[in-house]
Amino acid sequence: MKNMRFSFLLLIVALLTVVLAACGGSSDSNSSNESKSEGKKAGKDLTIAVNQNFVTLDPQDSNNTLDNSVQKTMMEGLVAFDENMKVVPKLATDYKVNKDATEFTFTLREDVKFHDGEAFNAEAVKTNFERVSDESKGLKRYSLFSNIEKIDAVDEYTVKFTLKNSFASMINNFAHPAAIIQSPKSLSSGDDVSRKPVGTGPYVFESWDSSDIIKVKKNADYWGDAPAADTLTFKPVVENGSRTAMLQTGEADFAYPIPTEQIDALKKADIDIENSDSIVMNYLSMNVSKKPFDDPKVREAINYAINKDDLIKVVYADYAKKATSVIAEKTQFYAAQAEQPYDVEKAKALLKEAGLEDGFSTKIWATNTTNYIKAMEFIQQSLAQVNIDVKVEPMENGALADALWAVEDEKDAKVELYFGGWSPSTGEADWGIRPLFAKDSFPPNSYNISYYSNSDVDKGLEKALQTSDEEERQSIYTAVQKTIWEDQPWVPISNPDNIFGKKSNLDGIFLLPDGSLNLEKLAIN
Amino acid sequence: MFKFIAKRILQMIPILIVVTIVVFMFVHLIPGNPARIVAGPEADQATVERIEAKLGLDKPIVEQYFVYVGNLVKGDFGNSLKTNEPILEEMKTRFMPTFWLTVWSMIFAFVVGIGIGILSAMRRNSFWDYFGMFAAVVGISIPSFWLGLILMQWFSVQLGWFPTTGLDSWKGYVLPSITLGVGVAAIIARFTRSALIDVLKEDYIRTGRAKGFSEWKIMMRQALKNAMVPVVTMTGLQFGFLLGGSVVIETVFGFPGLGSWLIDAVTNRDYPVIQAEILLFSLEFLLINLAVDVIYGFLNPQIRYDD
Repeated sequence: MKNMRFSFLLLIVALLTVVLAACGGSSDSNSSNESKSEGKKAGKDLTIAVNQNFVTLDPQDSNNTLDNSVQKTMMEGLVAFDENMKVVPKLATDYKVNKDATEFTFTLREDVKFHDGEAFNAEAVKTNFERVSDESKGLKRYSLFSNIEKIDAVDEYTVKFTLKNSFASMINNFAHPAAIIQSPKSLSSGDDVSRKPVGTGPYVFESWDSSDIIKVKKNADYWGDAPAADTLTFKPVVENGSRTAMLQTGEADFAYPIPTEQIDALKKADIDIENSDSIVMNYLSMNVSKKPFDDPKVREAINYAINKDDLIKVVYADYAKKATSVIAEKTQFYAAQAEQPYDVEKAKALLKEAGLEDGFSTKIWATNTTNYIKAMEFIQQSLAQVNIDVKVEPMENGALADALWAVEDEKDAKVELYFGGWSPSTGEADWGIRPLFAKDSFPPNSYNISYYSNSDVDKGLEKALQTSDEEERQSIYTAVQKTIWEDQPWVPISNPDNIFGKKSNLDGIFLLPDGSLNLEKLAIN
Repeated sequence: MFKFIAKRILQMIPILIVVTIVVFMFVHLIPGNPARIVAGPEADQATVERIEAKLGLDKPIVEQYFVYVGNLVKGDFGNSLKTNEPILEEMKTRFMPTFWLTVWSMIFAFVVGIGIGILSAMRRNSFWDYFGMFAAVVGISIPSFWLGLILMQWFSVQLGWFPTTGLDSWKGYVLPSITLGVGVAAIIARFTRSALIDVLKEDYIRTGRAKGFSEWKIMMRQALKNAMVPVVTMTGLQFGFLLGGSVVIETVFGFPGLGSWLIDAVTNRDYPVIQAEILLFSLEFLLINLAVDVIYGFLNPQIRYDD
């Protein structure tokens, strides 16, 4: 009896093994088809390893640069950003703006077709922008286009946008990745455009599989220069070490971002590591509504006490530029400001004037990534030299967002020091300044967690939007930057580089300052 | 026996109901607003509120719970807040990779662990015993993400035998399974050794020896089976844990399973995804415990089911 039970158990184990082997086998044969196409890579099939999972391929409903990068291989806008964040024509050959910056008129290319054969024309443009500017659709990028009052298809290839209010920065919103155009047929067909987009771009959507890998293939009928690659495969690999290992094994042709710790190892392995300027602004914000940060002397002292050059060496391994304004150099209407040197003695003297020579205690918040923690610790040690005792409090992103932005009343704000980053995805000064420094931008409305307010800044920001005269706008934004720089609600720290790695046979593939991937000039040698 | 199983399955229902309530509460207690995360880092308050309304997060929490349970009864886990895709579909595609990863790492752990355990117990206090137990301590102590990256460096980057990440073929299972299996193998080795040492002191083993059976035969026919009860209990628990998907290993190896999905869901406060995954894990544990109880009966007939 006992033996029988044991044999029965053995039988179950044996059966299970057979079943497992069979299933294992079938999954092998299943995937061997895939691995054939994957393993024997022709030179024109590129794999791009990235650091996040994809969310959506609907540009009007996207909020991250990575999704935008993939979308931009398949879809294009009327205008686009070049490598210096200048607005250049794309599907439009030309555009005009009236003096008040309320009317934007685009002349369209006439030789463009969508991947599904639909014609690209003024009606198609109209359909796209009517969708995103319709509040009831609840699209994430509605706010970029909520200012559109009406869209007229003047003729087959001319389209005119009329705005509710003057908004000179609107042309940058049209160059934003959210403004890339989808086939009107795909938008009305009920197909899920967030999973399967149709555009006019150099590559056509092929698949988005259960491993979250997105594949696009060459568009044979592309209106511009023929795309260099036959296929592009985008593969999310969250772990930094694994993503860089893929470059070493050749499983990836291009990978980004590359953590600074891995750069040396990769260079030794004969991988090209390149870095380029970004428009990301890293800053130390001080809550000026709270004591002792309400005293300009204290803020100035803190600014003097932090050695930004050393911080950049420690935190960014020198892959960053020192901030020279409250927006990065590649942001439109940037104006360089006078440098404030590192000077501990001066900092001490200023604190003494403020009656705080014995220092004070405060806390610093930031997100809990390695670099941000390092930066907080650097700031902690810097300020210890002038007797300011800083408690470092790294927080998980969601919790941090709640603590910072969800505050209903200024008085309830618990933030004191905050080390943060901002990347104005429209690439111009308004979006680099207004959300962070305008009085209307106090949380929960927007992101002014310094609770800084200066009527000169508010007025300047308003005025700059009401004229399309570039020179006038430049002079207004220059003045605004100077005012904020001198009021010092922030210690502007750095503009970190975009760092990416690639195989040496690839040319012309790079990251734009906004962090999105550009493949237009790609060449495979 | 079947009555026993049926009864146990019925008992699962109230447990699962409690699980839905507790998980729902805890998930909503985590600080962080999913609408804000969905809206993105540049969104203003108006956009956040619009998304809140669209996702139904502006409704009272009790109402949200009943909507959730109402859908659940219909077999609808809802849609992901992040991607707006149906959760059930995604769960189906992600369950199998995690399931096979669990199976392969358990097979690896079982073979290696029991092997070392037997060797150590039979050659007690010999070099092999010390070596085996040293290996087990190392196996338990090694941080799995480090081991994963080291294996990747050796076998993928240096030797080029296996892919670094992804699941394009069976090769994608090898490194994650070993990484995951090492810790479990170490635990199994220690359990097997100590259980065997106890069993080998029993009278019936001495009788066996007196009858002139070889040590090997005694080990296989009598000792091992009797030593398996604690090992099976522990293995069942480990199986359950692994079936939940290993957050760390799946992240390191870019593995499209439940673990990497869960960490992504938590980061994004994707409430329905977190709820669905925890519910699935609870169900898995309940079923595994049941299976373990049934296996006990085979291993030791003195254990009877209370029908």
